[in-house]
Formats: sequence, structure tokens, C-alpha cells
Amino acid sequence: MTVLELMERAGIQNETLAIAYIKDALHLIQSNTKEKIKVSKQDVLNASDSDDNVYRLPADLIAIENISILDTSDSRYKRIKRISSQPHYLLEDTSP
Amino acid sequence: MSSYVDKEFFYYLRGRELLLYKLLGSRNRTRITQTGILQSYHNELMYPDEDIENGLRIEYTALNEPFVAEAIEDTSSKVSGITIAFVIGGAGQPDTITDSASGFDFADGDKIRVQGSTSNDGDYTLNGTANSGTLSVAIGAFTAETAGQRITITQIPKEVASPDSTSSINLNKMLCLAVVDYVKAMIHEERGEIDKKEYYIKEFYSKLADNESNKRIISSAFPISPFAVR
Repeated sequence: MTVLELMERAGIQNETLAIAYIKDALHLIQSNTKEKIKVSKQDVLNASDSDDNVYRLPADLIAIENISILDTSDSRYKRIKRISSQPHYLLEDTSP
Repeated sequence: MSSYVDKEFFYYLRGRELLLYKLLGSRNRTRITQTGILQSYHNELMYPDEDIENGLRIEYTALNEPFVAEAIEDTSSKVSGITIAFVIGGAGQPDTITDSASGFDFADGDKIRVQGSTSNDGDYTLNGTANSGTLSVAIGAFTAETAGQRITITQIPKEVASPDSTSSINLNKMLCLAVVDYVKAMIHEERGEIDKKEYYIKEFYSKLADNESNKRIISSAFPISPFAVR
């Protein structure tokens, strides 16, 4: 369906506003369903100081589907588990 | 070398950041101390202690290519065969894909996805010649590959970076109809007609649910008593 067809069906005349609404709707769709999946990869670092285990999530992320780590012994990405809280004994590392 | 990563690695989400931890393996065993008492340590986590190139993989949803050049129902061209080869162009000439069986059905400017080749899998945009036997892409796009392996080439939607009224929404028909409901809801919200807004938002989510259930083959069986009178 083209943007024009959608504008006619919805009865909206402002093209810029219609495109903004469509993007909002797509955002909601991607938040509620897994319509289109994207993959991002980053290097895992051998931690040599206290913030080396911190990785930024992709800037365009809406919802996480899964997280995995490369098992180099058999060249496969394997899903890893989420922990619900940070390790309780660790508040701040100064020498990892 | 990383191994048993599914058992040893864990992540924690902190705002926009992901914190990666690894199980400190040797501390979680039960062992005999000098006094002869069995003593067990709780599992402890440490930071990853090795470099893994492209080791962290995040699968996620995003606002990905929202507008495309043509409706996704129209991007249906596909060819598969063992007669497809990848040819490097000469100096200044574009690389090409050839099919000795002349089975290509693509147009110039189409975006295609190559699967099954040894070294040329990926997405490409046709640029120049596009007939039943030859497809041109950019210069230096391919590694030379002779025919023989089964290769599939599929047309995929081509993104429009600056959408206008002629651009298509990168969704199937059902989800496009859901988007129509969403836009109607927003229009009614602007007018202060909240009851109508709520009606159309409900329709929007109803179509999302329909679209999801359409992907699943679900049958419901209801037991009927053998003595039931019908």
C-alpha cells in the first residue's frame, strides 16, 4: 500500500504528518510483534579494566529478541541467560 | 577459545547498556578442605576473560526500512538453479551474474538477495543490464564463481530513504490496514474524539493479532459426545 492510498483511506491530507504517523504505527508494530528482525554484532573484550564488560545496545533497538555469544569451539552463536539483578557482592570493580 | 558459552555467560540489562558476565568456573565445586569438611562456594561471576571477535550477537526489532519502492506483494521474483555463475567485469565494467538457462525475471534497479553461493551471498542492487540471462551489479561486487552450485536469487524490497506519497509501506496488506486504523485513531485524537480514537486503536491491535495468528496453523478440536443429538 502506498502512502497516498493510506492517506485517502484514512482521510488525511498532510503528507508529512501521515508519514510521521506511519512511522509511529510501525514502531508500535515492532514493539508488539516480531515483524522484522535486525542483528547487531560486537566484539567481546577481555576485560582489563572496570568498564570493559559494558556494551551499548543498538541505538535503533525497539525490543530485544535474544542475546547470544559465539562459541568458538564449534563456531555457533548460543543464547545466553539474563540475570535479573547485578551480582550482589559487586558494587564497583576497581581491579577486574 | 570459548566453549559452553550458553552455560558460562550471562548478561544484565542496565538502561541502554548490556553488562556481560562469565561464570567463574573453579569456585562452584564442592571440595574437601584441610579440616576435612566438605565446603561449597556459591557461583561467582567475573568479567569475560577472552577476546571474541563479533562474539556478542543481539537480535532485536527496530524501525527497519519503513518505506520501500514498491509494495512487498510485488517483490516476488525468484530464481533458483545450478546454472548461475558470478563473473567479474573487466576494467571499468560492472560485475555480472549469468544464467545459462535464462531464468532471470528481474528489472534494472531491483534489489536482490543471493543465497547458496560459496562467496557471493548478500544483498545487491541491479545496476545496468537486467535481462533473462545477465544481471549487472556494481564494479568489484563479486568473487568469480562458476556455475554448478545451487544458488537462489530473490527480489527483496528496496528502501526509500526520503519517502513521499508514492512510496510503499514495508508491510503486508493486513498490517497496512492496521496502520490505516492507527492513522484514523490519531486523527480522531487530534479532534478530541476519544471514543472513536479508542475504537480505531482497538481495530489496530485486532489486526496485529490477526496477522500473528495468520502465521500459525492452529486447529481447535472440540469433543462431541457419541450420543449427542444433532
